[in-house]
Amino acid sequence: MDTRMTRSRFRCGIAAAFTAAVLFTSTACAGGSEPEEANATNGASSNAKLALAVTAAPASLDPAQLQEGQQSYVWGSVFDTLLYVDNDGKLQPNAAESWKFSDDGLSLSLTLREGMTFSNGDTVTAKEVAGTLERTRTTPGQQQGKLAAVASIEAPNNRTVVLKLKQPEPALLTNLALAAGVIGDPDTLNEKTSALDPTASGPYTLDKGATVAGTTYVLNRRDDYWNAKAYPFKTVTVRVIQDRTAVFNALQAGELDAGNVDPAQVKQIEGAGFKTTKVEAQAVANLVLADRAGTLLKPLADERVRKAINMAFDREKMVQQVLRGSGKATVQIFNPKGAAYDAALEGSYKFDPAAAKKLMADAGYADGFDVTMPATVISKSFEPLITQALGDIGIRVTWEPVPPQNAAAAVSSKKYPMVFFLDGLNVTQRELQNNFSDAGFLNPFGSKYPELTELITQVSLERDEAKATELYKKINAFVVENALDAPLFYVGTIWATKDGIEYLGDGSNTLSTIRAFNATK
Amino acid sequence: MIPYILRRFGAGILLALLVTLITFTLLSFSFDAVVRARLGSATTPEAVAAMTATLGFDRPVLVQYFDWLGGVLRGDFGTSLFTSEPVGPAVASRLAVTLSVVLVALVITVIISVALGVVAATRGGVVDRLAQAASLFGYVVPGLLIAIVLVVVFAINLRLLPATGYTPFNVNPSKWAATITIPVIVLVIAGAANITAQVRGTMIDELRKDYVRTLRTRGISTRSIVLKHALRNAAGPALTVLSFEFITMLGGALIIEKVFALPGFGTFAFNSSLQGDITVIMGITLFSVLLVVSINLLVDLVNGWLNPKARIF
Repeated sequence: MDTRMTRSRFRCGIAAAFTAAVLFTSTACAGGSEPEEANATNGASSNAKLALAVTAAPASLDPAQLQEGQQSYVWGSVFDTLLYVDNDGKLQPNAAESWKFSDDGLSLSLTLREGMTFSNGDTVTAKEVAGTLERTRTTPGQQQGKLAAVASIEAPNNRTVVLKLKQPEPALLTNLALAAGVIGDPDTLNEKTSALDPTASGPYTLDKGATVAGTTYVLNRRDDYWNAKAYPFKTVTVRVIQDRTAVFNALQAGELDAGNVDPAQVKQIEGAGFKTTKVEAQAVANLVLADRAGTLLKPLADERVRKAINMAFDREKMVQQVLRGSGKATVQIFNPKGAAYDAALEGSYKFDPAAAKKLMADAGYADGFDVTMPATVISKSFEPLITQALGDIGIRVTWEPVPPQNAAAAVSSKKYPMVFFLDGLNVTQRELQNNFSDAGFLNPFGSKYPELTELITQVSLERDEAKATELYKKINAFVVENALDAPLFYVGTIWATKDGIEYLGDGSNTLSTIRAFNATK
Repeated sequence: MIPYILRRFGAGILLALLVTLITFTLLSFSFDAVVRARLGSATTPEAVAAMTATLGFDRPVLVQYFDWLGGVLRGDFGTSLFTSEPVGPAVASRLAVTLSVVLVALVITVIISVALGVVAATRGGVVDRLAQAASLFGYVVPGLLIAIVLVVVFAINLRLLPATGYTPFNVNPSKWAATITIPVIVLVIAGAANITAQVRGTMIDELRKDYVRTLRTRGISTRSIVLKHALRNAAGPALTVLSFEFITMLGGALIIEKVFALPGFGTFAFNSSLQGDITVIMGITLFSVLLVVSINLLVDLVNGWLNPKARIF
């Protein structure tokens, strides 16, 4: 294949693919982080403005239907969350000033801070918090599954919320820092207009007059918000612009203060006085070996075959050619800034087609085998490379076209033993849940390994952070050593911010939050 | 004439029913995907069943279709499955963006191409060659390239016009004009190239006809011959091309909308399809069919008004 053509095709493809990932992956998050102390000094007295571009319009603002990813810029500003994830990816108090698990891990008690109000002036009490959580828990939607472990929610007094659990849930606290932990006003949540303009207690309110649903969201800071000092921008405009060139033009024309740019645009945008910040990893491109138990495709049950697949890819070359360096080769599915990531594992599968073919032969597949994979908007630009790499070790790929809206459903359909997917990075607990729990989105065949199950149970009960980190690393090592998947590379992103605004994220916190931006002037 | 219009409208409505029924039937294959997209990754079979029931996807497809149709007749197009936006106003607001660009572009296209086409056909010589060259230029230079050049010059360097975005006319007319200027220029260049060639060709044919010679012999001024007689006859084919051009512009608006980040109809249709937002797709389909039917009817009426020979009513 002509390399030049391949390159340009992939260059065009990567932006489209990433856009698709943002659209289709509920866990897809554009890197974000908490501001450093600088924000505290800016405080609510700052009148700075921020206009930024996102690729996907926020879906419903109904707490039960909130989606993460770049959509959180809007809902994360309108709603307050019980906890929040800081710059280092660590949980911090937010609307809940403290929390405590019972010894058996089956009861979580949260103490709310005083002085919180809704945008209509009403006080936020435990009743509203419990009411929102209960509604999210019982309403089929994006967030219901995040509270699946919760059996009941009580509000014994105005400032205490108690969650009783069916079984220990390691991702619960993280979920309460994300969309499942937002606080709404249960009295108004079921009103029709609430999904577009909810009554909430967050740092911003939607400017109804200036907001055009699906296009432009204008947020005004509430100066009566309890933590207004952490938000240096008086107004925030979130514009939905899908085309990278349009973002680039809008930045240069002074219509945007912050936006994502392509590696090829960095020099030019810096020349125009913008500062660029590179986030090395915000999504992972993974060849999900979903049928690792061999239900549909027997060879996949053989560890040697899975290892051979891992050795078939020249990951470094893919990063250079496809991502033009804006990413990183990897054999791991976990966030490189998270607890599970282990740099030492990166050398596990070197590109070696000859050794891979030998492994295939040892496993009894010297002649290879056929596999059908879904061709989606996400896989489109990577298909030729994957076909070629797998073809070189005898695996013949047939791509079956899947309509765009079915890209995510194709994964869970149990129709495809292998799926190429671009998954937004998340906090480790979430990633674990997503990839290896029984109902995990990327575990459609529900494959189980006793050793892995044991480690997951252990980590769910572990309250000591250092020990939990150790367990997460063990889990990751198990996943890599047994080649449960064939991760290929992390996809990064580059933020361009104009003079006076800085982007503080490094990928540790995967939630897209306004707090990742700071006003320096 | 009124029975004719009613007949055409009746046929249009029948077409709309047929197209929406087919669309809905095709979309019904994606019900499961839509349910899963709404539920996100962490979900259970119970939640899938509950959501399917909430959205009414467990009912027979025809029942759902007629349910939707009943809503439409009451003026309720439903709400978006993903954003909760009411479909009617959502489609209307996007259509307003696209139509304001396309209609303004169309009017300018007509003025430019008729003027250029008539002058080229009547004057000939250098003027004709220049008009042909301009037309060829519009054909061969990609609209996207023109768009990028104009943005770099007028939006980024001179900062006279915005690079992206849209301001509604009722909010600020001058800003509205500024936001659609570059998109309109891009559409006009491609559109005018096509229609100018068409007008020029048919005008030359008309001017060679016997009746023109007869008119000349009777001492009628060239101006009158060209504008009152030849142009009227030449307008028919040009109008037909124009109606196609309009529909092409609506379709082509997607690219323009993307490049200029205009919240238009094309982008809305594209994103909704990508997401499987069934109620929105149905609304868009219905509006599109009715729009195309109305345009075709309008063209036939104008055609008949211009040229009694072409009257089909």
